[in-house]
Amino acid sequence: MEAFHGCPGSRMMDFSQKNVQASEEPTGKIQSQLRQWPIQLHLISPLAPYYRGADVLLTADCVAYALGDYHREHLKGKSLAIACPKLDEGQDVYVEKIKAWIDEAKINTLTVMIMQVPCCMGLLNLAQEAAAKATRKVPIKYLVVGLQGEILQEEWA
Amino acid sequence: MEEYLNKGIKEVISEFPAVDKILEEYGIGCGPCSVGTCLLKDIVAIHNLPDDEQRAMMARVAKAIYPDKVIPLPPITAKKETAPKELKYSPPMKTLVDEHILIKRWLALIPAVLQDLDLTTEEGRHLILQGVDFIRSYADRFHHAKEEDVLFGYFDPNLDILKVISQDHIVGRGHVKAVVEAVERQDKETVAEHLTAYRNLLTQHIKKEDDILWPWMERNLTMTQIGELYAKFQETDERMGLSTEKFEHFITNLEKKYQS
Repeated sequence: MEAFHGCPGSRMMDFSQKNVQASEEPTGKIQSQLRQWPIQLHLISPLAPYYRGADVLLTADCVAYALGDYHREHLKGKSLAIACPKLDEGQDVYVEKIKAWIDEAKINTLTVMIMQVPCCMGLLNLAQEAAAKATRKVPIKYLVVGLQGEILQEEWA
Repeated sequence: MEEYLNKGIKEVISEFPAVDKILEEYGIGCGPCSVGTCLLKDIVAIHNLPDDEQRAMMARVAKAIYPDKVIPLPPITAKKETAPKELKYSPPMKTLVDEHILIKRWLALIPAVLQDLDLTTEEGRHLILQGVDFIRSYADRFHHAKEEDVLFGYFDPNLDILKVISQDHIVGRGHVKAVVEAVERQDKETVAEHLTAYRNLLTQHIKKEDDILWPWMERNLTMTQIGELYAKFQETDERMGLSTEKFEHFITNLEKKYQS
């Protein structure tokens, strides 16, 4: 097999043969846990009422597609923003918005969910940069999600 | 077996001393505990051993209690599965663990301080009273206040482990009071006795908290509660307005004096 030399984030992979056991399939309609709009980090106002004092979830764009139970296990009870650290432009604004969450919206906690691909670490770096600039301190946790939806890592930042 | 799983650990160990040794082999050091009212089943659950280790340990405990019988082991519940990888301490718990570091540095100095102690001098008495001030202001008011006034409020006050921890605080305060009274009488022997007892008590107490209680609490706190705790700890520190530099300076100076 030929070795892959390109960007791991763009490497083509096919999981279509993955065997999903019938017992793993949820039954009934799955409720959305989203409780706000907008969600894209460029579009949100960090001072929107649903961020004030909230547990905020900052998710890399691909995470919700990779993770089967994203809504129930991770989004539930949290206020959301999504971003892509690889493709989004104007990421300085992201740092300012995250800082505003911490200092002005006085969020309770921040959870950052990223994919395992190396470029995704950029989103955690943005959050850490913002936290270092902020006056308040809040617990920040990050979760790294595998390409097939497994939680590979869960740590306090 | 059910009967012993629901008994206080001290009672189980006094009836079957071999159980103490078995638990110790699995890192469960309940033997020296001053209270020992935690139930055997709760102790096993709270230590969160891997399933195979827990099964092996319980089989040995059952054998120690019923050497001539094969006892079916009931499952120990209350074990909440953690994420795939073990978490490090969350920020509020790390605050408590970090505060323990300075307290442990003081505990490590106590034998040397006692060895050279001369209570007939003003300097000797002042040194012990500075140590008492460190214990009362930093270890007790600054640190234990976060535990008792904030953290424990998130858990059932009837939990045996919380009673044990609170009892340690009370016993510790008793030792400190005895030290102060003995300093006034220039009674070196009593100062040494109670300061050493305090050192032994706090050494075990900190180990219980860092290794067992904090990780267990962390597994049972939600992300929202972790955030609230962290904010409340910071508010408590601000309200107290205590400068920790003074205490760090005190410990560092003693280390220079006794460890050079």
